[in-house]
Amino acid sequence: MLAPFFMWMEGLAVYQSSIYLGPGVNLAHLVAMVTFMGALLLVDLRCLGFGLTEQSVTQLARSAHRWLIGGLAGLVVTGIPAVMAVATQEYENNTFWWKMYILATAILWTFTVRRKVVQSHDPGLGGKAVAIVSILLWMAVAAGGRLIMYL
Amino acid sequence: MIPWPLPFRGVFEWMATLPFSKDLEASAYGFPLLLTAHVLSMCLFLGLIFMMDLRLIGIAHRQTPVSVIQQRLFPWQMLGVTVMNISGFVLFYSQPVYYWGKLFFWVKMLIMVMAGANALIFHLTTYRTVASWDSDPNPPLGAKLAGVLSIVLWIGVLSFGRLIAYDWWTFQTF
Repeated sequence: MLAPFFMWMEGLAVYQSSIYLGPGVNLAHLVAMVTFMGALLLVDLRCLGFGLTEQSVTQLARSAHRWLIGGLAGLVVTGIPAVMAVATQEYENNTFWWKMYILATAILWTFTVRRKVVQSHDPGLGGKAVAIVSILLWMAVAAGGRLIMYL
Repeated sequence: MIPWPLPFRGVFEWMATLPFSKDLEASAYGFPLLLTAHVLSMCLFLGLIFMMDLRLIGIAHRQTPVSVIQQRLFPWQMLGVTVMNISGFVLFYSQPVYYWGKLFFWVKMLIMVMAGANALIFHLTTYRTVASWDSDPNPPLGAKLAGVLSIVLWIGVLSFGRLIAYDWWTFQTF
């Protein structure tokens, strides 16, 4: 159903102006990923009772928030052209679609359930479970991204 | 093609004859799985290094004392760096002669040493006086400099690591 859309995206040839554009966008994607994952793991580890335990989860989540959002924005901005450049290959690739489904779940989880948890003053046992799911979902997204070209 | 001037090729050829090196190279899933472990542990290690560096620069987690960030994140950074080093070494071990012929591999190693030296120098100099600026949201210049250098150098390590996969500056080794 989406095949014409993916063919159209590839037709735009977003990387045609320079051979350095593809690798450059790729590196920016990784730097954004590290920033995002740092901000995410810092708060998830805190929910589990590790790391910066002197601070409340709410406080820490607040100071991590802009790096989380900034990192995610960087990931999206660099991820879209990376997909567009090889859109028909991605369309045919199962790992790509797995990554997208898990990514959608991870984003939903982060901005609904996890958001509620980090805003509550005592996340407790439920908070730990939410943090573990958060870590697993985002690690799966990262692993999916790495494996697209192999599987 | 320009001959690769780096010596010790024999050492890398010998390494390729050691147990498991060839088996790893030949295995279909070994390389992608090791790369995945390398990337996931990088998320933990570099992610928390960046969070600490941003605090040193004075632009993140300003209400948390620097020494608390340093001490509490250290075990997790070490967990990340351990998995990263092991997976990285095994990746190298599976194709030592290939990496020997990659300029970017050597650049990565060099920048990694520089990043380590930066952390060490910071701990032996500016960090010694941490008690007097621990809770200051705006750390001294030495700390900011160490933070900026750390981020720049680690982005360099990450970048040259990723760029090894492209065929730029690859020398004939087979």
